[in-house]
Amino acid sequence: MIPMEYFLILAAILFCIGAYGVLTKSNAIVVLMCIELMLNAANINFITFAAYNIDTIELLTMEATAVGQAFVIMSISVAAAEVAVGIAILLNAYKIRKTTELDDAELTTMRW
Amino acid sequence: MDSEIITNIFGDLTPVATIIILAIGVLSFPAVQMFGKKHVVTWIYALVIALVALAVDIILLMSDYAGYYAGEDDMANWIVCNPYTLYMQLLFLTVLTITVFVCHSSIETTKNHSGAFYSLLFGATTGMLFVVTTYDLLTIFVGVELTSISSYAMVALKRKDGRASEAAVKYAIVGGMSTALTLYGISMVYGTTGTTDLILLQAIMFDGPPFTWLFAIGMICMIAGYGFKIAMVPFHMWAPDVYEGAATPVSMFLATASKKMGLGVFIQVFLFMFIMAKTQVCGEAFQYVFAILAAVTMTVGNIVAIAQTNIKRMLAYSSIAQAGYILIMMVVMTPEAEAAGLFHMFTHVFMKGGAFLIVGALICAGIGEKISDYKGLAKRAPLIAFAMMLFLFSLAGIPPLAGFTSKFFLFASAVGGPGDASAEWVWLALVAILNSAISLYYYARVVKAMYIEKGASTEKIKIPKPFLVAILVCVVFVIVLGVYPDLIFGYAEAAANATFGI
Repeated sequence: MIPMEYFLILAAILFCIGAYGVLTKSNAIVVLMCIELMLNAANINFITFAAYNIDTIELLTMEATAVGQAFVIMSISVAAAEVAVGIAILLNAYKIRKTTELDDAELTTMRW
Repeated sequence: MDSEIITNIFGDLTPVATIIILAIGVLSFPAVQMFGKKHVVTWIYALVIALVALAVDIILLMSDYAGYYAGEDDMANWIVCNPYTLYMQLLFLTVLTITVFVCHSSIETTKNHSGAFYSLLFGATTGMLFVVTTYDLLTIFVGVELTSISSYAMVALKRKDGRASEAAVKYAIVGGMSTALTLYGISMVYGTTGTTDLILLQAIMFDGPPFTWLFAIGMICMIAGYGFKIAMVPFHMWAPDVYEGAATPVSMFLATASKKMGLGVFIQVFLFMFIMAKTQVCGEAFQYVFAILAAVTMTVGNIVAIAQTNIKRMLAYSSIAQAGYILIMMVVMTPEAEAAGLFHMFTHVFMKGGAFLIVGALICAGIGEKISDYKGLAKRAPLIAFAMMLFLFSLAGIPPLAGFTSKFFLFASAVGGPGDASAEWVWLALVAILNSAISLYYYARVVKAMYIEKGASTEKIKIPKPFLVAILVCVVFVIVLGVYPDLIFGYAEAAANATFGI
C-alpha cells in the first residue's frame, strides 16, 4: 500500500504551486486557476485522511470517514460556484476596464 | 413571551425557522420580480419577509428558546439553537431589514436587477444565519461560502461602474484565496483529530491538544483564512476597496453583517475550542497570537484611516479598527469579555450602519464621497449633520453614546475585576484606549468639515424618506443603548454563557 505521506506531500506541493501562482501571476484568469489548485490540494488531503486514518485515531468511526468525503463533495460544489461567479465578475470588469491583468493601471485605481 | 406560536408552526424545525423563512424569499424573489414587473412590489415583498423573520427571531429570543434539530442520523451538533444563535441572528436580521428598507430609494441599487439583487442579499444573510446555528466545521464552511459568493456578486451588481467592477475582482480573488486557505486548514485539523464536530474538538483540546505540525499548520491556515473574512490586519487590504466600490447599502451590509459573521466564526471555532484548553500551553499560545493580532489590527486600522480623503474608505478602515477592539474577547476568553464583544458588535451595527446610511443618502442627494464635499453640511441639512456627528462620536467612544458603553465593557473585561489577580491583558486595554484617542482625530475632522468650514453652496438638501427613517432609528438606538444597555446586554450575557456552557 502507498504510504499516506506521499499523498500529503503531493497535496502540499500542489498547494504551494497554487499559492505561488496567486501571489505572482498578473492575469486574473490564471489566478483563478491557481485558487482551484489550492482547493484541490485540500480535497486530496481530505480524501487521504478519510481513507487512511482508520486505525490511528480512536475517535474515528464510519461517520468520521463519511464527513471527510462529504467535505470534498461540498468543496467541489463551492469551488464550482466560486469560479462561475469569479469568471462573470472578470467578464464584467473586462467590459468596463478592457483588461484582466491585475497589475494593470486600469485595475489598480484604488490604493491605500 | 411564549415560543409556542412558533413551535406550533415549525414543529421540529423551529431551530431553523428564520433560515427557512429567508430561504423561501431567496427562491421566490426572481419570480416575484418577473410577474410583479414593478420594483416596488419586490421591495415590499422583501421587506415583509425580512420583518417576519425578525419577528420570529425576537419571539424566540424573548422566550429563551433553546433546542436542536438532530435529523434522522442523530447529528446533534449540526443544528443547534441557543441564546447565542438567536442573539447573532437578531443582529443579522436587523441589518438585513435596514438594508432592504433603504434599497428601494437609493439611486445606487435601484438600477440593479431587483429580483436578483434581493435574492443575493437574502442568500448572503441565510449563509450568516447558518454559520451561527451550527457547531460543525462543515456547515460553517458552507455557510461562510454562501455569504461570500453572494457578496462578490452583490458588489459586482453595480454594473457600468469602473470602481465597483474593480472592487469585485479584488474581492473575488482575495475571497477565493481565503477559502482555499481555510479549507486546507480544516483538512489538517480533520486529519489530526478525525472529526469536524466542534464539541468533540473541544473535548480533544481538553485532553491535551495534538501537538503535531499538521495541527499547527491547520490552525494557522484557519486563522488566516477566516482572518480575511473579518479584514484582520495583515489580511485587510480588500476591505477599503470593496467598501468604496460597492453601492453604499451593500457596503453597509458588508461592514456590519458580513464582518460580524466572521467574528461569529471566530467565537464558534477558536474561542469555543480553546476555552477548555485555556489553562494548557496551547490555549495560552493562541491567546498571545490573538493579542498581537488584535493590537496590530486596531493600530493599523486607525493610523491608516487618518490619511483617507474618501469617507467610505475612512469608515472601512475604522471598521477594521473596530474588529480589532472586538478581537479582545478572543484574547481574554472569559464570559464577561465575550458578552462585551457581542454587545460591541450590536452597537457597531447602529453606529457604522448609521454612518454608511448617511453617506448613501447624501450620494442620492448628489453630494460626493469626499470628506471635503461635506463642508458646510450643518447649514444645508442640520438634522443629518447632527446624526452623523452622533454616529462618529459614538464610534470614537464618547459618553453617553452606545459606543462608549460597549467599549467600556470591552476594555473593562480586559483589565479584569477588582478580585481578579491576573493583570495580563492590561497592556491590551491600554493600546485600545490609545487607539480610541487616535480615532477621535479623524472622526473629528469630518465633524469639523460639517460644522466649522464653509461650503460652496448653502441650499437645503432633500434626502429620500426611507433613508431618513432608517437614520432616525439608528440614532434612537445609539442613544438608548448608550444610557440603557440592559436592553440588549442581558441577551449578550446569556449568549456568552451559552458558549461557555454555564
